[in-house]
Amino acid sequence: MFEMLSYDFMQRAFIAGLFIATLASISGTFVVLKRYSLMSETLAHSALVGVAVGLVAGYNPLWIAVVVSIFSAWLIEYLRSSFSIYSDAVLSIMLSGSLALAVIIVSLGGAFNNSLFSYLFGSILSVSDTDVYTIVVFGSISLVFLLLFSKELYFIAYDEEVAKTSGIKVKFLNFLLVTVVAIIIALSIRVVGSLLIGALMVIPTVAALQYRVGFRNTMFIALFFALFSVIFGMSLSYYFSLPSGATIVLSVIAIFILSLLINNRR
Amino acid sequence: MSLKPEVPIFEVKELSFRVREQLILENVSFEIFSGEYIAIIGPNGGGKTTLIRLLLNLEKQSSGEIKIFGKKLKDFKEWYKIGYVPQRATLVDESFPASVEDIVKMGRVARRGVFAGMSSEDREKVHDAMQKMDILDLKDKMVGTLSGGQRQRVMIARALASSPKILILDEPNTGVDMISQQRFYELLAKLNREENITILFITHDIGVIADDIGRLFTINRKATICNDPKKLLSCDEVSDLYGIHAHSLANHKHEH
Repeated sequence: MFEMLSYDFMQRAFIAGLFIATLASISGTFVVLKRYSLMSETLAHSALVGVAVGLVAGYNPLWIAVVVSIFSAWLIEYLRSSFSIYSDAVLSIMLSGSLALAVIIVSLGGAFNNSLFSYLFGSILSVSDTDVYTIVVFGSISLVFLLLFSKELYFIAYDEEVAKTSGIKVKFLNFLLVTVVAIIIALSIRVVGSLLIGALMVIPTVAALQYRVGFRNTMFIALFFALFSVIFGMSLSYYFSLPSGATIVLSVIAIFILSLLINNRR
Repeated sequence: MSLKPEVPIFEVKELSFRVREQLILENVSFEIFSGEYIAIIGPNGGGKTTLIRLLLNLEKQSSGEIKIFGKKLKDFKEWYKIGYVPQRATLVDESFPASVEDIVKMGRVARRGVFAGMSSEDREKVHDAMQKMDILDLKDKMVGTLSGGQRQRVMIARALASSPKILILDEPNTGVDMISQQRFYELLAKLNREENITILFITHDIGVIADDIGRLFTINRKATICNDPKKLLSCDEVSDLYGIHAHSLANHKHEH
């Protein structure tokens, strides 16, 4: 276990991974409770458009992914709050549309290679110093916002209308939440991959919900599950040369199944 | 020197609301003053819930004016003065991770501000609200495990935690058994009488509430206000809508 930490690339991957586990699980609690799970998948695919542009144009893909993901989040939230259209259908359209657009961009730019593969499924080898700094700085800002407004976001997740009638700025906070989620998703695709980050965001909370405890404890359990999955998954990735996103997600799914079994037997 | 006239909690003037071409509410006007106990009745689709949603700024009126505590709706900021219990309040998502105390604490969120934790005053108000609703012993229970009647009291405790001047309840007895309903009406009357909290609520149970309420609003696209609900049959609109029911109510009341 500790031998792998003697490598610089593994140290970077662990710092980034543990940070992402924290961000994904805490934001994921709100995402799941607000029934935004499909939104996290859609934003992850939108982030891929940014990655594609970055790879083809030669800019840092992570930065472009953050920008594209934020714009997608705002568009989704605007459509959701302004029109009485089927929001899951909108998400579905944007999800497949974003993936198609990303594939076209990388194909035209001739960047369909291992680099894109690592953004799809995550790679512990590809995490650079710049990535770590970006993840820590933007991740910390996102975390501060989430924690500052956690009581308001929790109220909104429970009952949006009553929250609004009590004077809470529901529209602003919904935009803030999707913005923070968009940033976290874009930051996560280096380690977990855009096709798999949605799972790291959603499954720890769904597993934690099986224990039927209050909000704070649910968040702590989800955080613990996410941290454990990242440590375990990245270790598997190192020892068996597997994509880190896949090993992390399978680890968290195993925890979910265990939680389901334990709580159904009670 | 003349006394300053009391500012109504709600002042509604010629309020109309339409969805596309359909007129849901037409020229509704009324005032609600502090300490009143008002029930709203009317047929399904008559516009009762729409009226409450307009008062709470959840819908925008097509025409007319609403003032709250003397301020125009768009200028009103002290929403914590209004406690709202929506119709589906007891139909909670059973897997939602919330204890009774978590829910009641929500009533303090808007008053606390972004950076503030729970102050001793917040804790006291949450405790008082749970005590008034007799749910202190349930405070650590998950809300999804409670009965309809218990959930109803939790939702009212949440509304009370913000120390509201008025409680607005939309068919609060949905999904609640008969015994809890009776207890609920007693609680509402007590809040009105002892705490001077103004009560405005939508109900179908006109027979049960007639003894306590001060005024009865009948909403069926237009509003008719009955100022003496104890003589329900003298209120034409109520008789028109609930003719047989109102007769049986009159007999029922006579027997007691």
